[in-house]
Amino acid sequence: METKEHPSVGKKKITPDKCVVTGKGDWYFPLSDIYETTDNFTILIDMPGVTAENVTIDMRDNELVINGEVSQEAYTDEEVIHNEYNIGHYHRHFAISDVINRDKIEAKMADGVLSLILPKAEHIKPRKIEVRAE
Amino acid sequence: MNIIKWSRPDPLNSLTHIQREMSDLLGILSSAPQVEGYVSVEFPPIIVSKNKDNVFVRAEIPGINISDLDVQVVDDVLTIRGERKPVVAAAKITYLRRERNYGTFARSIMLPEKVDVEKVTASYKNGVLMVRLPKAAEAKPKQVIIKKA
Repeated sequence: METKEHPSVGKKKITPDKCVVTGKGDWYFPLSDIYETTDNFTILIDMPGVTAENVTIDMRDNELVINGEVSQEAYTDEEVIHNEYNIGHYHRHFAISDVINRDKIEAKMADGVLSLILPKAEHIKPRKIEVRAE
Repeated sequence: MNIIKWSRPDPLNSLTHIQREMSDLLGILSSAPQVEGYVSVEFPPIIVSKNKDNVFVRAEIPGINISDLDVQVVDDVLTIRGERKPVVAAAKITYLRRERNYGTFARSIMLPEKVDVEKVTASYKNGVLMVRLPKAAEAKPKQVIIKKA
C-alpha cells in the first residue's frame, strides 16, 4: 500500500441501536488491521489513551471481545477551545474460527496500539510430506 | 382508413409526473452517506484547551515512535509533523483487513495565546501526544496599580 499524505481518521461512535451500551461514557469503534503470516494472525487495534491495565480481552464462545477504557480525569480546570475528537472507551469483537490455537493468544499494548497475536492451530499448518524412494 | 381518437392528455398528469421525479431526486440526495457519528478530520485530530497558566494541545497519534515525531513552536504557531510507519515484517504478510492509515503528516495551528517558547514541553503517552505551552508573561492579566495624584 502506498503511503498517503495526511492519512485521514474517523472515529465511529457505537450507537445504542446496534448494541446495548452500558456503563458511563461513550463507546467507539477502534480502527484495526488484520494480517496473516505463515504461523499466525495478527490484529492491530488503535486505542489511543488506553493503558495496558484498562484493556480487557475475553474469549466468549467464538468471539474475541476487546474492551479498552480511557480515564477522563483530565480537563478539570481546563477550558476546551477547539475539539476535533471525542474521548471514549473502545469496543470491538471478532469472530474466531477453529484455525486459531485459542490457548496461545498473546496480547501486547504499546503506544495506544493493541497487538493481538493469534497462532494458527497445528492441524492447519502446511505440512511437507516426504516422498521416499523405494 | 381508421380514425384513431386522439385524447388530449390531462395537463395535471404531467405535473404529477414531475412531482414524482422531484421526490425521487430528493430521496436520492437525502440518502447520501450520513456524516453523523463520523468525525472525519485532518490527521492527527487535536484538542486545544487552556487554563490560567498554560495552553494544552492534545493529539491522538497511536503507534508512532517518538523519533518520528517533530513538534515545533515558532512565535504562536505550533507545528506537529511526523510519520506513521507501516508494519515492517520479517516474513511475507498478507493483509486481511486494513483500516489504519500510514503516512506522513504535518499540521500547524495558531495558538490562542502568546506562549513562552522556551518553556514548552511535550509528552507522548499511550498514543496521545500532549504539548504544554506555558503562557507568556505578557499574555497573563496584570494588575495595574493606580497611583494617587
